Amino acid sequence: MATKYLRKPNWSAYGVPLLLLLGLLMQACVAPPAAPAASSEEMDEEPAANVTIYGEELPADARPYDEQVYRVAANINQSASTFDFPVAVYNRYCLADYFQDTLVSLDKDFNVIPGAAESWDVSEDGKVWTFNLRPGQVWSDGTPLTAYDYEATFRLTATPEHGWDFSWFYSFLADGGIKNWSKIIAGELPPEELGVRAVDDLTLEVETEDVFPPLPGVMKFAFTLQKKALEEHGPYYNSSLETTVSSGPFILTEFDPGNRIVVEANPTYNGFRKPLLKRIECVFMDLSTFFAAYQNGEIDVVGYGALTPADFELILRDETMSSNYLRHFGDFRTDYLLFDTFAEPFSNLDVRKAFAHAVDRENIVPSVYGEIKAMPAYSMLMPGYPSSDTEGMLREHQTFDCDLANEHLAAAGYPGGEGFPDQVMMLRGEGPAMAAVYQAVAASIAECLNINIEISNVDRKIYMDALNAKPTELTFGAVDYGMDFLDPANLLGNVWKSGGRHSWKNDEFDSLVTEAAGMVGNPELRDQMFRDAERVLVDDVGGIFIAHRWAGDLMQPWVQGTIRDPDSQGITGWHWGNDQDIAGIYISE
Amino acid sequence: MARYILGRVLSLILVLFVVSVVTFFLMHQVPGGPFDETKAPLPPAAKQNILRKYGLDKPIHIQYLNYMKNAVLHFDFGIPYQQPTTTVTALIAKSWKLTVQVGAMTVILAFGAGFTLGIYAAYHQNSWIDNATTFIAMLGITVPSFVVAMWLILFFAVRLKWLPMGGWNASGSCLIGNDFICTDWIMPVVAYALGPLAIIARYTRASVVDVMRQDFTRTAQAKGLGSQAIMYRHILRNALIPMVTALGVIVPNLLTGSIFIEAVFRINGLGRFFVTSIFNRDYPMIMALFLLIAFLWSMTYLFTDILYTWIDPRVRLGAEGGA
Repeated sequence: MATKYLRKPNWSAYGVPLLLLLGLLMQACVAPPAAPAASSEEMDEEPAANVTIYGEELPADARPYDEQVYRVAANINQSASTFDFPVAVYNRYCLADYFQDTLVSLDKDFNVIPGAAESWDVSEDGKVWTFNLRPGQVWSDGTPLTAYDYEATFRLTATPEHGWDFSWFYSFLADGGIKNWSKIIAGELPPEELGVRAVDDLTLEVETEDVFPPLPGVMKFAFTLQKKALEEHGPYYNSSLETTVSSGPFILTEFDPGNRIVVEANPTYNGFRKPLLKRIECVFMDLSTFFAAYQNGEIDVVGYGALTPADFELILRDETMSSNYLRHFGDFRTDYLLFDTFAEPFSNLDVRKAFAHAVDRENIVPSVYGEIKAMPAYSMLMPGYPSSDTEGMLREHQTFDCDLANEHLAAAGYPGGEGFPDQVMMLRGEGPAMAAVYQAVAASIAECLNINIEISNVDRKIYMDALNAKPTELTFGAVDYGMDFLDPANLLGNVWKSGGRHSWKNDEFDSLVTEAAGMVGNPELRDQMFRDAERVLVDDVGGIFIAHRWAGDLMQPWVQGTIRDPDSQGITGWHWGNDQDIAGIYISE
Repeated sequence: MARYILGRVLSLILVLFVVSVVTFFLMHQVPGGPFDETKAPLPPAAKQNILRKYGLDKPIHIQYLNYMKNAVLHFDFGIPYQQPTTTVTALIAKSWKLTVQVGAMTVILAFGAGFTLGIYAAYHQNSWIDNATTFIAMLGITVPSFVVAMWLILFFAVRLKWLPMGGWNASGSCLIGNDFICTDWIMPVVAYALGPLAIIARYTRASVVDVMRQDFTRTAQAKGLGSQAIMYRHILRNALIPMVTALGVIVPNLLTGSIFIEAVFRINGLGRFFVTSIFNRDYPMIMALFLLIAFLWSMTYLFTDILYTWIDPRVRLGAEGGA
């Protein structure tokens, strides 16, 4: 070698670069003296006891109260700006919803039960609902919780300048919406004209545009801000330790978004869900590390959305983990395909039927979703949801039958797929797992019908702009929808009624849903009308239903409490709207 | 030199202007707006109110002029739509502090270790350490940092439980008694540094080997200079030039953060905002980030140009021309 004549330098020759490395170490070590590990306040605390700050005794197998710490994870890449539902529903920090109670709650069987309101009744004309607040509820600064807080909150959410991201909700309830909501949002009336009024400190009236029986369930969304704090500091007062105030079971004690958020049991809380936990800690991390953090014992729960198919394989192979995976309904989410039925080729019912019978759900669900995450869907309402098809009566309308699918396609004028225009299935910014599902769905249809379908997975905002455009700019796509409130008037009426989310219209369906939504006094008939409406939906193929998603949470074995209690169908775990479960969770030995 | 630097600073202003114009108009061309809904449309009147609140109802050129006026005159880059309780400046100041800490340590490790390995490999060509350096370099170049990060987490945190899975002690207090508590620095810096370290090691090895074969090196040897003197005065100094070029490319990247490293190791830094601000169409944040990147790149190139003249006196900046 040409360089052999050069004598190799000894190790001291590498001094300069090594000094750089040493600098790294020095930066780590030469630091000011560390702060004490625990505050003096903590050091002065009484020895651990098994009694909560509310005087309630912990279960026999519980760790001492000081160790009642529940640790959850938040996605570090998800933006958030508030804790509070009335400020921004889709942009909330972890541990949201613990700083106030909603007017009502739901039990594990999804029955509406008292929350901040202990009772309610409706006027004779069915339009004015009166909610009676529990007496003695108080904010953490000592201010009593009153109906005026709810009134001020509702008015804030309806104020056009506030631009509430959930304001569509009370508008899309239409006749069931709160009186004057849409006019106030449009700036035609002042917020004081809203049909939500405080009659006195403990009485709140909610007036609807028309008769709307599910209204109490909708009040699951009736969160409240403190009127005083709202006036003094504005709607973001909970995003600061100096101005935060809570009437819920927890108060904010540490706020470092992107790093850590901590809440502790609210000593002034006098509501319906006094927690056994002393503290909840939320640590921000990447979604891909949730499972590793769980395995490392750093967090106590991982939601199913953070678990990959590989994670599920590990979970199912491990007895401890599989017995601690609590599968539940989530928000009764359904994945489905949608069309623009006002334009060719999907204006032709035979084309839609051909597509509906060409999806091999029975294979796609176990092989692509995994059975722990989904069940095949043949209709919109997931079994377990009110008026859902638990008996499988609707299955025949959209079951996989390739021969039948081809008959329909031929009847539509495309025998053997000949001449059928190439299609693009638009996806709403799906992650790899769901993109794989829709790839499989597209492949199933394309293979069965001998047609071409491409997948276009676009940014969510682009997708929603196309979906919401009037007329729609989305010819063929896939989407999912979870309930907004627990009544078929939501998942059938609000989602599928004409002029709503999708470009499909059926007069019989509209008539059935409209009549059923406002029906009082005959729950059996109401239920049957919704069932009939759903039959129309699947038979007329407003959409092609792929799967109902099972949700679930992987809990640490030491997390115990009512979260593990089954509902009447034997389903354990978290249930939507069942806010009091947080009160029943404790950390066992 | 001063004239050259002044010229470069003036051209920097032009660069920032062009970047601001292109970014502003391009981001407004992307379909979907910051307040487009994910579930259902806002009533048109409500949406109009929000747009008015943020000045988005005005013609786009007016929006640009307003933005630049506030940015230039008041150093006010607006309110981030993602976190309306703070300002873009405050948000960047808070998160960039951590990113710079991570980046600076990564630069030190990558350049320190990469340089050392490269020199050693050059002096011990085809030895086992040369082969090992090549292997590490290939690993660092080919395996993405987030994969390395996951390997490190699974091995050192989950399996061995030697290191914490994530977090970043930004307090500056790393010692409690005799206990070193900044162990959460180790994995992010190592994972982040591996890629640039590999590049630097390869650059260094190639440069050193090249210089070792030059006539002037042989002459120095013939004159009887000691091997360390030859290394410091002749070999390293000449080998540094390509290193400075690498520095200009690597440093701005490291100082603006990595979404993967920061997310995987729970570092509340700047990296994630590059993605979330685009997803959320957070126009003020996008503008500020792109201007920051443009500024950093321009400054780094200016700095490296000046560094060339120090390393190699033959290099002349400005009108005098090069060597």
